[in-house]
Amino acid sequence: MAEVTSPAKASPAVGPEKANTRPARGSRPPRPNYKHIHRFPFPLNVQPVLLPPVIPHNPVSIISAVLSYLTFLISPPSQEIYSAYFDPATSSIHVTDERAIRALWERGFFGKGNLSRSEPSWLEREKKRRGLLGGQSSEEVTRKRRAERRELKLERARSERLLIEERLKVEAAARESGRATPSTDGVADATAITIEKFSVKKAMDAKYRESREARLRTAQNGEPVPAPDASSSANGKSVRFSSVAEEKEVTSTSTIPLQDSSSTYGDDVDADDIFENQEHLQISNEEAFFLVYGLGVLRVFDREQSSAIPASSLLPLLRRHSYFPPNDDSAKLEPDDPFMLSYVVYHHFRSLGWVVRSGVKFGTDYLLYNRGPVFSHAEFAVIIVPSYTHSYWSQTEKLKEYAAAKQARSWWWLHCVNRVQAQVKKSLVICYVEVPPPVDSSQDIGTLLGQYRVREFLLRRWIPNRTRD
Amino acid sequence: MADKDEDAIRGTSVEATQIETDLSDETQDFRLLNHLNFLTDTASSSLPKRGEKDFEPNPTEFQADVLSASRQAMHNALAHPRLHNPNTQVIGIYAPEGPAPPPGVNLEDVSKFGGKGLNLHPDACVCVPIPKGQYFKTMGQADRWNRIWLLPEEALFLVERGSLDIRWPTEITGAADGEDAEELSIPMSLQAAYACFIGRGGLTLERYTVFTGLRRTGYAALRAPGWDDTQAESSMDRNQEHVFRYPQRRGAGLVGVLSQVFNWVRDPFCTASTTAGPAVGCGMHRNYVDVYRRLAMIPWYDPSLAAERDPLDTMPPFRVVFHIFKPSTPIKKTALPPPDFRIAVVNTRETTSIPTLEQIGTLLESTPLDPPRGEKMQRMLYMRLRNGYRNVILAVVDQGIVSYLRLADAAFGKEKLYETQAPSSASKRNGNYRNKKR
Repeated sequence: MAEVTSPAKASPAVGPEKANTRPARGSRPPRPNYKHIHRFPFPLNVQPVLLPPVIPHNPVSIISAVLSYLTFLISPPSQEIYSAYFDPATSSIHVTDERAIRALWERGFFGKGNLSRSEPSWLEREKKRRGLLGGQSSEEVTRKRRAERRELKLERARSERLLIEERLKVEAAARESGRATPSTDGVADATAITIEKFSVKKAMDAKYRESREARLRTAQNGEPVPAPDASSSANGKSVRFSSVAEEKEVTSTSTIPLQDSSSTYGDDVDADDIFENQEHLQISNEEAFFLVYGLGVLRVFDREQSSAIPASSLLPLLRRHSYFPPNDDSAKLEPDDPFMLSYVVYHHFRSLGWVVRSGVKFGTDYLLYNRGPVFSHAEFAVIIVPSYTHSYWSQTEKLKEYAAAKQARSWWWLHCVNRVQAQVKKSLVICYVEVPPPVDSSQDIGTLLGQYRVREFLLRRWIPNRTRD
Repeated sequence: MADKDEDAIRGTSVEATQIETDLSDETQDFRLLNHLNFLTDTASSSLPKRGEKDFEPNPTEFQADVLSASRQAMHNALAHPRLHNPNTQVIGIYAPEGPAPPPGVNLEDVSKFGGKGLNLHPDACVCVPIPKGQYFKTMGQADRWNRIWLLPEEALFLVERGSLDIRWPTEITGAADGEDAEELSIPMSLQAAYACFIGRGGLTLERYTVFTGLRRTGYAALRAPGWDDTQAESSMDRNQEHVFRYPQRRGAGLVGVLSQVFNWVRDPFCTASTTAGPAVGCGMHRNYVDVYRRLAMIPWYDPSLAAERDPLDTMPPFRVVFHIFKPSTPIKKTALPPPDFRIAVVNTRETTSIPTLEQIGTLLESTPLDPPRGEKMQRMLYMRLRNGYRNVILAVVDQGIVSYLRLADAAFGKEKLYETQAPSSASKRNGNYRNKKR
């Protein structure tokens, strides 16, 4: 008990001494340079115009400018087009090419590794597991941290039990000696006990601080080190994804001694041949269509016919596959196919610059990241609600009923989603999509998308006690 | 730099926690009531701090003692005698027929004197001949004889508090007339007050629950123009075409032609095609901002373009029924300041589904435009989005339990995120961190 609480109690004393050194990382390896890795928002190549300056009274400069312009016209730099294949059995789209996987993940955070939490890092983890690479993957870090947490919680339970036993003993002794039990009315008494309560959070903080101090001390040859800024290790998990770059930095700076792996590290190249990457990138249907139709950097192949599916037939295909079981080819495409609604919202937020990823873990349709999940947590969670405002949907009773059934959501559901978002500190966005009346199968995707309209509302709990001033 | 990101995360999380921490969710340590001096000294206004509670019972006497002490403290507080000083007693008279002139004066006389008649709310049904106390600052309406007329919810709230004593009118009870009418009139019970006032003039139990809850929290609540559900909606144009921003493919006039020529020079083999994709075109792109502009294809609602609607041009129950004023807002009944909050009351048992876009859209458009203002809002992107351009509060009442939801029009389309995160500057100075928080 005493050992556990003392560092926690000591923490406020340490805090005020702000370190003027850069706050050091904990015992973790340095974070890769995400700013550089993810510097492009899309897997598209962008080149600013590189025309030489034109000076009007110097004909040579004009000629050189025209020449470079012509070179650009004749041989424009090419854009790499990646390929993926569509699997009709699972209605999913897979990318297996290593280069494509890296490009799609690093530039715009598309897709998810099928054997990883999000970034495809299975190969990495597997190598580390076999001792071929040093360092830890993010999954391992998480696992370790969870184990630590569980340990601390057990410790807390133990200390609480001890406290109760001790109190029972004191009470028994008091009863024997005939003294009255101490007054419980005193508030000070109660607070004294609450202070002693074990805090897992504080203990975690203390642990981090300790390890960091130890690290700093060794780094600076045992010199006394000013206590680091307490806030840098404070609550909340930070976003961490492992990547190749992380490993490279780890090994080059060699902050972590690589005892067992250093010998085998030279065989890294051979190791690649020993086992191949079992992981592929799965991109959601909306992402795939955006990459094909919006950016034109992806070709989706049909697995059976091994031919690329053009955007004009990919859209109906994905729309049919947004039902389960998928509708067959003869079925009519509805304007409120789930794929249409979700794609409209996906496209809308992507076109504004947000990184849009699935929000299924938080019970929503999408999460909106600013720049990407490695940089910060998502601030907004989006749920999609269709809207049948167009006069077509109120023409007949049957259509009205249909629209009402499609729009119906219960208050319980809304509160449920809202409270979950508050718990994970996200703002809930309700995105209404206005569904146009059905159109004859038009091939013009742009016009079709332009018929849908979106309107976003932010929803949050209002607490009268807090806004009273 | 990474640390800055983390700090930013932490910053928002702290803010969010503050918003979400509900004081009423905390446990109360009732023993602290004993230390309160409100029983003796009404001037002190400090509230007790809350205590901590054990998760499960344990066999210690200490816990049992704490529990019994808490219980005793609560009983002490409740057992404190509450006195009604006859000097401060306020008496109201129930007027089932609505506002009427005092006995002895009839309306013709009033109009003869040049008065405008009784310029009172028709739903007012309790008359207070001798108003006393602070409550009438934010409640009731005075007539020309200096009597205060109370609306049903106001009367019921005061009766429930014990601040008002309502008497049955002598016409109903048939009591003796004359000078001592007030002495002999029969007081109305709380049950009778509920029976008389709930359901009168559109006062549902849900609305009363919201009203009384907010009054007790310290707010002033007044009826909004949209109170009356039965009033027909004016047939205003629902389909506000112009409030949607359609992405512009080409500007009009000379500017448009010039920009097209310029675009052609930059990208002569324009492969961009919205018909079959790719929407941004193949080949080389000059910068990502152009890519994003080409991608803009989905029309979005721009709240700043929408005209304000008439409050009655909404669909009940998604209609503002209460205007709420903070306790700090000075209220003058003759010239009301703009309300701090607008509340619509929804009964979950009647309206089982969340509002449709039409319901929610008209509701928000009936409130005035309240765009994000101030230096802080200019800087903080997330704050700006969370504030929105119009806002309204939905009080969702489920069998007496109220949950409030703040709805705001967030114009994501107005915040072009890509313009604030140019990748070229990101690798240089700290740039993106600042841009991000914009």
